[in-house]
Amino acid sequence: MTKQLETVNKADTVAEFTVKERSQLRIIVTRFLRHRLAVASLITFLLLIVVAYGGAALWKYAYTDITPDNSQPPSLAHPFGTDGIGHDNLAQVLRGLQQSIKIALMVALIATVIGTTWGATAGYFGRRVDNLLMRLADVVIILPAIAVAAALASVGQGSWFTIALIIGVLASASVSRVIRGVVLSLREQDFIEAARALGASDFRIIARHLVPNTMGPLIVNATILVAVGILAETALSFLGFGVREPDVSLGLLINQAEGAVRTRPWLFYSPGVFIILIALSINFIGDGLRDAFDPRQTRVRQ
Amino acid sequence: MHMHLRRRGVIGLAVLTSITLALTACAGSGGKDEGPESSIGFADCGTNPNACNNGKIKQGGTITYALGKDVKAWNTLSSAGNTLEYSHALFGVVPRVHVYYPDLSVQVNKDMMESVEITAKEPMTVTYKIRKEAVWNDGTPISADDFIYAWKTQNGKDCKDCKAANTSGFTQLASVTGSDGGKTVTAVFTQAFPDWQQLFSPIYPAHIAAQHGTLGESFLWLEQNVPTYTGGPYKIEKYEPNFALTLVPNEKYYGTKPTMQKVIYRIITKDSELIPAMRNREINAFSPIPTPDLVAQAKQIEDAHWYLGKNLSWEHFDFNLKNPFLADKALRLAMFTAIDRKAIIDKTVGQYAPETKPFGNHNFVPQMKAYKDHVTPTGQGSGDLEKAKKILTDAGYKIEGGKLITPKGETVPTLRMRYTTGNQLRKDSCELFASMVKNLGIQIEIVQTDNLGGTLSSGDFDVMIFAWVNSPLRIGGAKQLWRSDSSSNYGKWVNTESDKLLDEAARTVGDDAKAFDLINKANELMVADAYVLPLFQREMFLVVNKQYTNIRPNPSNHGPVYNVGTWGLLEAAN
Amino acid sequence: MIAYAIRRLLISIPVLIVSSFLVFAMIANSGDPLEALRVTNPPTPPETIALEAKRLYLDLPWYERYWVWMNNLWHGEFGPSVNVRENINTEVWTRLGVTLRLVLVAMLLALILAIVAGVTAAVKQYSKTDYTVTFFGFLFLATPTFWLAILLKEAGITLNQIDGDPESRMFYTYGDRSVFLDDPTWWNKFTDVAGHMILPTVSLALITFASWSRFQRSSMLEVLGSDYIRLARAKGLRWRKVLTKHALRTALIPLTTVTAIDFAGLIGGAVITETIFGWAGMGQYLIDSVTTRDVYALMAWLLVAGAIVVLFNLIADLLYGVLDPRIRHD
Repeated sequence: MTKQLETVNKADTVAEFTVKERSQLRIIVTRFLRHRLAVASLITFLLLIVVAYGGAALWKYAYTDITPDNSQPPSLAHPFGTDGIGHDNLAQVLRGLQQSIKIALMVALIATVIGTTWGATAGYFGRRVDNLLMRLADVVIILPAIAVAAALASVGQGSWFTIALIIGVLASASVSRVIRGVVLSLREQDFIEAARALGASDFRIIARHLVPNTMGPLIVNATILVAVGILAETALSFLGFGVREPDVSLGLLINQAEGAVRTRPWLFYSPGVFIILIALSINFIGDGLRDAFDPRQTRVRQ
Repeated sequence: MHMHLRRRGVIGLAVLTSITLALTACAGSGGKDEGPESSIGFADCGTNPNACNNGKIKQGGTITYALGKDVKAWNTLSSAGNTLEYSHALFGVVPRVHVYYPDLSVQVNKDMMESVEITAKEPMTVTYKIRKEAVWNDGTPISADDFIYAWKTQNGKDCKDCKAANTSGFTQLASVTGSDGGKTVTAVFTQAFPDWQQLFSPIYPAHIAAQHGTLGESFLWLEQNVPTYTGGPYKIEKYEPNFALTLVPNEKYYGTKPTMQKVIYRIITKDSELIPAMRNREINAFSPIPTPDLVAQAKQIEDAHWYLGKNLSWEHFDFNLKNPFLADKALRLAMFTAIDRKAIIDKTVGQYAPETKPFGNHNFVPQMKAYKDHVTPTGQGSGDLEKAKKILTDAGYKIEGGKLITPKGETVPTLRMRYTTGNQLRKDSCELFASMVKNLGIQIEIVQTDNLGGTLSSGDFDVMIFAWVNSPLRIGGAKQLWRSDSSSNYGKWVNTESDKLLDEAARTVGDDAKAFDLINKANELMVADAYVLPLFQREMFLVVNKQYTNIRPNPSNHGPVYNVGTWGLLEAAN
Repeated sequence: MIAYAIRRLLISIPVLIVSSFLVFAMIANSGDPLEALRVTNPPTPPETIALEAKRLYLDLPWYERYWVWMNNLWHGEFGPSVNVRENINTEVWTRLGVTLRLVLVAMLLALILAIVAGVTAAVKQYSKTDYTVTFFGFLFLATPTFWLAILLKEAGITLNQIDGDPESRMFYTYGDRSVFLDDPTWWNKFTDVAGHMILPTVSLALITFASWSRFQRSSMLEVLGSDYIRLARAKGLRWRKVLTKHALRTALIPLTTVTAIDFAGLIGGAVITETIFGWAGMGQYLIDSVTTRDVYALMAWLLVAGAIVVLFNLIADLLYGVLDPRIRHD
């Protein structure tokens, strides 16, 4: 777990961007579109969302339906087979996919919002505030997700939002470090000095100047957080500290199928393939965005 | 006396029964259709449970048996040590007066005891005669002192700081005295205690305890220290925490010497790891709670015998009568009638244990003579929807727009059904329960619990699924579970008539037939009230490499290790 | 720099105290460590439960319990475990040893893989090699640890059976060593321990190497694109020499710090790897103490794991300063 939350640190790399202005949006989009793999991944990811929600709505079985077919291998009636009690495994995987995507997006949102506010405040005010907030980040980084999830399980009854909140808040500490770094370097630049000289309030400077200028790292970071969110959620659920039965998540499905690798392999492989698909497409999107935002990479390319 | 408390497990129940010493083995289930499933080595375990899988033994050999938990305490009489796995690990080391055999008979440990007899009825007196040869491995005789130590540490009076797991029986003992140089022990009871055979199993060496301070201190010392002492066929050679416990023969053993060189309990805490480890020959035997995948894969292991039979635990749906809606018998009866137990079995355990039948008694299992199916004749668990609806309409209920309306015009609210986190079988059973009572217009919300005991005792449920584990000693247990004021009567069913019958049974020593009859009468009252619906017996599952003999399934909580001292390596047929 | 290090270490003390307090508060208020005693049947005598509660200071409010724990800690004791037999002090160090063995070997493996893969991919940017390495990097990055571990385990068993001898095996699936029947030779011991290490270390290494190789690739690319490498080439230095002597050396700096930080994170437990392969390490200790609400054991885990995270973050920073003269701590 720690390991996977730790991945956020790797996002540190993206912190080393130079400042961009909004007018460059077009350039960035063009650059992104040039990255074919990233575009394909974006399409895949959107398709996955459509399949998860639309597919589940259209599919003849709901994830709670109990069919008369127990432990059937994949067939036309049940493309992903069925489990022991007769749940259609496709319906279950789609439900798991919904939950996992929902949690992952929420993780990215929570971690980005909290982490940005946190890091920007620390970086902008510096000194005492910075020190205090960064030590707070140290505190949060040490907190074990498993213990927090177990402690809050009784409160939130393991709802998807509780899980997203826990992963999101814990991940936000790492995000705050990244954003703080970016803001620290921005703070000393002329246009901030100018804004200050013009009498802009601290809040205004943070909201109007600092945050927009950290957009690059922010977006890339948020993308990677989606992948981190997926992997963290499935890992937590696999260990029994995440989404709880009778609800479904991809990690939980794999947990339940751990003993079935040989006997009912469809139960084990199908949720796993979907986790990989999501995380893979997200990572490629992140890669494309990184290239799009980072002019140095482009230079190397030419 | 020991409980399982695995996360996925069952609440164990240690209940007792008085069976006179002239024990007739309650033979296995008998009926052809009841036969458990097995492979060839265990083929006759259904008909010959106490002697199946035996063959010519070759001296020597080692066996690695998977143990589901690391041993966290060595005194199985203390609250910390009162765990099924710990007592299994110590079966060959700390001796017992009585042993539960696979046919569910309770037999005296003849290696250690010469005789055990009830010598007086008023007051109830039991005389234990210990064999002259019986000694601890340091040469000290096993004696009355050890019995007295067991009594004093567990009677709640003599030792205020002993954390005894269970004081029942010992609190009813007026005195325990030794005579004949300590080889005869006389135990006098203040009141009849039909389940007396649970006492002194096991006993710990008093002379070693005496070297470690007061009763309380030594009781704790026994908890914390790996035994170097032994009064059984094996002694502990090595204990590696979270890893393995290695036993070697006790060269001072006074009974039949074991033939194996080593018995290793390999600690494997995750059942899903058992099959790979077995296939990879990292373990030679294991006995987990079965799942469809475990069973299917065990059958494919070519060099192993497997046995799938019924054990003493049984799953059941419980109502909480404190819920004002569920306080109405008609509603309960209709819901239980709408439950199709056969369908639940087919969807769950039936897939790997096709012999499973709906279970019909709250105190006895079909392997016991006293078993009678009280439930099926009432129509509960039949899935007869028409009958269920009729019960409701007769009582003035109405089903409107998928909702159930009480005679008073209230809508029956969504009921909360709880089960233990991670227990797939119970989760599935809950979903099936919900889909079945939906036909009556009743909505069920399924909520898991991490704290089964807390949830039960606080009554934080409307419907609950869990399991009780019976013991071959079965008279006091009925009272413990079902008496109106018992703490284990979680759904709060109150019936003074039944209480009287149970009390009388608990006073009956030496007349099993009568006691069983009283318990069955009380049970009929409870069944008629639709309080707890028994579903099915759980399975015992044992997988053993074919090169071992004398290791066999045992449905009681003494488990396959009950005869660990006689396990052996099979002489290969030439 | 020494002053800087000392200051950082001093600051980490309140950090550890605050996080331990938070975790303590959450765990102590969210479950009952004596639950196992309360569900037995026949019921555990109330006197026994009361004694056990007293031993674990459960008769005190949780914040006083925290204070008791701090006091015990001051005297070098981690406090009573829910498991009577267990001495938390020895338990936590033993487990740290187990985890270290797993993590050190896996990290080493991952590091070698990452450097080779990352450098190759960067040097041959946009070649087939680059795409292959990148693809696998991304693939492992997206694979859940538990899924990969279970797959590897199945693969290991299948490979074991290839030679047709059921008794021989190269890959072990459970635990960190075997139970030896006789006195093993050191060679037997070594092969046994190695056999147990293969699957868990490989699965941990594959997951870790993936992100590191991506990292190494981009830092290598950055260095290769820098002016001084161009200068070196322009001066006519041999390409191989430029690569190894100049580019690689600089490009390793960022990886060093990432390695240090990741390593620290894993000491808290390669939770999933340990669970699946049955290693009684720190990760399992975390899970066990959380599920049984063994709060003092959890605190010990937190202090050890937390201290290592703090320490290695500091080491990472210092290393960065030592290796890269542009950065100075003051």
